[in-house]
Amino acid sequence: MTIKFKINGRTIDPTNVDMEMPLLWFLRETQKLKGTKFGCGIGQCGACTVHIDGEAVRSCTIPLASLNGKDIRTIEGLAKSDNDLHPVQQAWIEIDTPQCGYCQSGQIMAAAALLAKNKNPTDEEIDKSMTNICRCASYTRIRKAVHQAAKFYEA
Amino acid sequence: MQRSTISRRHFLKSSFLSGAWVLSLNLPMAAQAKTKQPSTTGWSLYVRVHKNNQVTMESPVMEMGQFMRTTGPMMFAEEMDLDWQSITFIRDTRLHLKRDDEGKIDFRYVKANTGGSHSVRWTWEYLRKAGAAARQMLIQEASEKLGVPIEELSTTRNTVVHSKTGRTITYGDLAEGASQRQINESQITLKNKNAFSIIGTDKRNIDLKDIVTGKPLFGIDAEYPNCKQAVIARAPAIGAQIASYDKKAALAVPGVQQVVEMSSQEETHWFNGNVQILAAGIAVVADNLWAAMKGKAALNATWKNTHDAAKENSEERIKKFYDLVTDDSPAERSKDVGNVDEAFSNADFTVERIYEKPLHAHALMEPFNCIADIRDDSATIITGHQNPKAIAEEAEKYAGIDALKVEVISKRMGGGFGRRYERDFVREAILLSKKIAQPVKVTWMREDEIERGMHDPACVARVKAGVKDGKITSWFYRQAQTKAGIQDSCFPEGLFENFRVERCSNETFIPAGPWRGPQHPAWAFANESMIDEIAYKLDKDPLEFRLDLLLPARELPYTNWGATIKDSGRMAICFQEAAKMADWKRKRPKGRGIGIAGHVCHGSYAAFVIEVSVIDERLQLHEAWGAIDCGLAINPNHIRSQMEGGFIDGLNAALFNKVKVEDGKVTNNQFGLLRMGKLEDAPIEVHTTIISNDHEPTGVGEPPTAPAAAALANAIFAASGKRLYRQPFAESFQV
Ligand code: FES
Ligand code: FES
Repeated sequence: MTIKFKINGRTIDPTNVDMEMPLLWFLRETQKLKGTKFGCGIGQCGACTVHIDGEAVRSCTIPLASLNGKDIRTIEGLAKSDNDLHPVQQAWIEIDTPQCGYCQSGQIMAAAALLAKNKNPTDEEIDKSMTNICRCASYTRIRKAVHQAAKFYEA
Repeated sequence: MQRSTISRRHFLKSSFLSGAWVLSLNLPMAAQAKTKQPSTTGWSLYVRVHKNNQVTMESPVMEMGQFMRTTGPMMFAEEMDLDWQSITFIRDTRLHLKRDDEGKIDFRYVKANTGGSHSVRWTWEYLRKAGAAARQMLIQEASEKLGVPIEELSTTRNTVVHSKTGRTITYGDLAEGASQRQINESQITLKNKNAFSIIGTDKRNIDLKDIVTGKPLFGIDAEYPNCKQAVIARAPAIGAQIASYDKKAALAVPGVQQVVEMSSQEETHWFNGNVQILAAGIAVVADNLWAAMKGKAALNATWKNTHDAAKENSEERIKKFYDLVTDDSPAERSKDVGNVDEAFSNADFTVERIYEKPLHAHALMEPFNCIADIRDDSATIITGHQNPKAIAEEAEKYAGIDALKVEVISKRMGGGFGRRYERDFVREAILLSKKIAQPVKVTWMREDEIERGMHDPACVARVKAGVKDGKITSWFYRQAQTKAGIQDSCFPEGLFENFRVERCSNETFIPAGPWRGPQHPAWAFANESMIDEIAYKLDKDPLEFRLDLLLPARELPYTNWGATIKDSGRMAICFQEAAKMADWKRKRPKGRGIGIAGHVCHGSYAAFVIEVSVIDERLQLHEAWGAIDCGLAINPNHIRSQMEGGFIDGLNAALFNKVKVEDGKVTNNQFGLLRMGKLEDAPIEVHTTIISNDHEPTGVGEPPTAPAAAALANAIFAASGKRLYRQPFAESFQV
């Protein structure tokens, strides 16, 4: 089987790769994109959240075989450049959200997908759509940062 | 390089390397609160001042989300008068060790480990002295260059200023000359608090941009040349041994190279002294991680268990704890003041309750991982660990490598919470690398992390209080738990005339280790719930009732780890401030209620009020207000952050965190089975007041967590009239 997909705008034509491999491990181990994190491997924590065709998806549950023609964006590809960060990343910095930081790539990707659809979510909408685990419990700042990002979008 | 230039005779040594000034210092150990920690060490922090007046710094203390990578440099930069914006921080931290006269391994410079909310206290004096020393050398150099007396010079933001003439000279220009100077400790003076311009201001996490852009900061992201990847099928039950496995099938997976048996080990646990069993396992070594994971699945490993630990069942244990705390069998009596029994018989009434707290999992977000390269007479180890010294000690003990020849590279930790003080995940990588004679990275799966947990102990506590003339006259606390001790010197100890604490002994193989404020949550839950209940029984305001106990302010002895005294006045102020923010007196509508609880530990004081509603058996958390007294506040921003995260972490533990062990095996070994608090479970806001005073700074990583369970239970009572004595609370209400 030959498949092709895009990661952060680059076309990838995976060869000699096990098609059962979840996208998470392809990103981290084959592509060396380490920003996407492993937390559980069963879709329960959200640490591995990436965008596939604009939707927030938990990459540990997505086998490579299912990705033909898909457009994948990871935390490394979220900003236009290191000096031109995505509004969500800017908001995360403004609020100083992370504690240990491990869950934050996933939180940011989940927030970016939410805000792409809903420019000004309420607390309830944020709570409903952001289900990523943060053991450090940086939750109050996550909520604030999403609101802050909404403001940055407007500006 | 600079390591070899350090001589113990020299207080300070610096050199000019590759165009930058490198500073190393060797300071005597500062006096600190009496603790069981080793009492001698020295320290070094490398600061590089570049010609262009920019600065590169290595932050010496381990980082796990407690913000020491930011706080440490703030103390240093303050005394050196550095421009905070001019500093670039090196990502990883290297370990520098020495062997003392008795052959014991110790940190060569700063105490770089983190735990017990102590990293600020361990480094507070050193880091400031180091900065002050560097500043003094720069001033001396400037004095000579400008031909003016030292007394006429001042410093600000990487610049020495001669205000009489308005002349300035940058640190960058002074660095080379300054680095040749020698000064001794008597020449440096530390700033007066009023002169602080960095300490006491809000600073952001120095790694913030790297985190939000997904840079490879964590151990799990680390790569190493020619490194094999391994995962280990671990015996799921405590004490189990390998029964069978399909080696051929594993080796048939493309990329899998070796299958290696790892034997189990029994040892005395460093923290609680009980026997502890490290799991037997089968390591699958491959050239990539996915192959290793597939190989592990292909093993189809089965296990047998003849060990007594195979009978371990956490629910039965807890049931037994109820028996132990209610029968009057002999127990270790750790506190016995006055005459408790007599006071009970003279009391107007007594109240007796039993509180239950289950095993808490650590469930830190980054599964363990460790790269080990054990060579013939040296080694490299890359991981995130709370105590990097222990890594070198493990390599010496288990691979025969001189600890001083072990290169330890410490990465940012995706959570620590005490679990990353344990050595198991480092030791197995060392043993495996030695066995296969190649560098190897071992990565844990989530199931491994929860199954091999060294949980916060399950604890059942009986509290009996006697009341006479509206006052508590007698207090009896009796506890049974899976291993570990008892935080019997926290409040209310010292507040009642008659006070007794007993700890029932009980042998179990269920592992235990430090968990964010070890055993403090159990103590605070039971005692702060009981105080609340009595206040209601006496028809007194729970805040006023507490203040009456604590005031007038007095200093009382503290006999647990981390402090020598506790000040009831400092505790009272936290209650007052939290209550003030919460608008305590305001009546909440029906179905809503507020609860209060506070705790002292590790030298810091924290109190919280939380508002909840209980409507149709559905519990909702709304808002919380916390006040902390951690002495001088170094970085208020991150103190607030710890108050928010630490408190919500405590709420989540009380609501959901319950590890279940059956037949020696953790049954809820994944997220989903083990419920973790999520955004929707967290209060909308945790407001923080930081009490300002002149006490030396103390920690903030643990103190906010312990009061959470009691504050929540007290609020639930206020909202619903139902008092909770058993965690997890989510079993009593819909959440
Ligand atoms: S690692 Fe994918 S959801 Fe946890
Ligand atoms: S910041 Fe540590 S897990 Fe979220």
